[in-house]
Amino acid sequence: MVSERAGPALLEMRGISKHFGGLQALNGVDLTLHAGELLAIVGDNGAGKSTLIKILTGVYAASEGAITMDGQPVSIPNRRASIELGIDAVYQNLALVDYLTAPENVYLGNELKRSFLGIPVLDNGAMREKAARLLKDRLGISLGNIDQHAFFLSGGQRQAVAIGRALIQETVRILILDEPTAALGPEETRRMLEVVQRLKGKEMGLIMISHQLEDVFELSDRIMVLRNGRLAGVRRTADTSRQEVLGLIVGSIRDGEAEAGAGSAVAS
Amino acid sequence: MSVPAVATGRERQQSPLERYVNILGPVAMIVAIGVVMAIFEPRFFRVTNIRIILQDAAIYMVLGMAMTIVITGAGIDLSIGSIAALSAIVMAIFIKDLNVAVYLALIAALGVGVLCGLVNGLIITVLRVPDLITTLSTDLMFRGLALVMAAGAVLQRFPEPIPMIGRGRILNDAIPVPIIIGVVVLLIGVFIYRYTPLGRYAIAIGGNRESAMLSGINVRRNKVYHYMLMGAAAGLAGIMLTGRLNAVQATVAEGFALHTIAAVVVGGTVLFGGRGTMLGTLVGVVLLSMVTNALVILRLAFFWQLVAAGLIIVMSVAFYSYVERRGKGGSDMT
Repeated sequence: MVSERAGPALLEMRGISKHFGGLQALNGVDLTLHAGELLAIVGDNGAGKSTLIKILTGVYAASEGAITMDGQPVSIPNRRASIELGIDAVYQNLALVDYLTAPENVYLGNELKRSFLGIPVLDNGAMREKAARLLKDRLGISLGNIDQHAFFLSGGQRQAVAIGRALIQETVRILILDEPTAALGPEETRRMLEVVQRLKGKEMGLIMISHQLEDVFELSDRIMVLRNGRLAGVRRTADTSRQEVLGLIVGSIRDGEAEAGAGSAVAS
Repeated sequence: MSVPAVATGRERQQSPLERYVNILGPVAMIVAIGVVMAIFEPRFFRVTNIRIILQDAAIYMVLGMAMTIVITGAGIDLSIGSIAALSAIVMAIFIKDLNVAVYLALIAALGVGVLCGLVNGLIITVLRVPDLITTLSTDLMFRGLALVMAAGAVLQRFPEPIPMIGRGRILNDAIPVPIIIGVVVLLIGVFIYRYTPLGRYAIAIGGNRESAMLSGINVRRNKVYHYMLMGAAAGLAGIMLTGRLNAVQATVAEGFALHTIAAVVVGGTVLFGGRGTMLGTLVGVVLLSMVTNALVILRLAFFWQLVAAGLIIVMSVAFYSYVERRGKGGSDMT
């Protein structure tokens, strides 16, 4: 389905390398993401997943490599630039602000305002209403009491609010989910997978980093495996098995370069 | 103390009332003091005495409003007594020695306050000196400047509206002006806290600095604003103090920083930031002023007042800890 698309990919990263002093965190990694698909990135700790994501969100600058969106070269020198390009991330351990409500968290930094005696003031009513609708309609989450502080929300609710925070910027085109289910219990995980499922399709491209291969196989369209900062392989989820992906992760199966080439060939 | 997204028994709903449970403790203490005083010293409830209490509380309310925002943003300002003194001395010298028009002198007092706050804010955000150390140091600097400028003199007999601001009354002599100022400042504080980005970002910065940054909030600029607001409030307090006695010297307002911080914390604002309440601060300043006054009326020595003030702070914070532990089910509190 994805491979049949014409035109340039939503996002292409080519030959991305990053070294911190003598440490080579990433070495010539390629990544292709299409609109409407979910690309899972898997790999052991230290494989370079986080570094790759941080380059995409402007936290780090790549040492080498090129990034294009819709075929146009882009540069992402800082966090602002990545937000303006429509790239946002929901981090695993990025807790919400505990003593703000869900709507206040969702709109943090992007508050809606109205005019009161000529001065712009926060439009808490509108934010409350729109955030509630966003969480319900797009993520299928209802919070019970919308006015309670985030501190009192469950893990899954917090995660949904964090995703809502990214979605509220309507320009978001690439959403990165960093371990969306890592801290959740089984029931909450189930609900979070449904939330991610709802996000799929349409115009947005999703990147999910996860250690949970079950989640990866359930949700992703393609799986990209990183190993020691190199691309170990890209597979279409429908065409691979858990054994193969595990083999790529631990290095017992090696076909990095060839498969990366195939991946981009499929894309173009 | 940012909490990762772990799903452990947090599904309990927060009742609307629960947001205000924190100020129940100090409110209960106010009632208790009232009962004790009703038994032992009914003079406590005379209108003149209530007025004295509220007039005293009003100055701390002005300081406490801004301090609530500073502390919510994970800051602290120990220099406000000295800022108040420096503002007042500059104003006094402008009027007495330089014959500057009184309204210009009032603006100068507020300006000095804002400037002192700006200095604090820049030292903290640009030089990256911790808030506590910065304001501990500038407290000495501002106080020193005030002492140098005043050169030991007591400046007195100021033109209106300075005495009016400090001790005037309106509406048939019934309502002291300082109380009105205190109420207006409280309302401004509530407004800032609920309806402006400044207030909301203070909660975000104090509660989860990294999250605030990733949301695109300019943390450093907001911190500077907090201290400038604090400086302006201290300048206003300096004017009020000058007007109250219609005289001022450079040692005025010593100890005001700790008293204000105590009132804010007693009111339920968390000293480490991220969570605050303006109404709590109102309760805190009234409670502390009541205690001081009650002990004076009961003719206890001044030193006992210190002991009592300390006790109240400890009791309040212990009460919050208790509520917090109970609220979390008692297990995951470290």
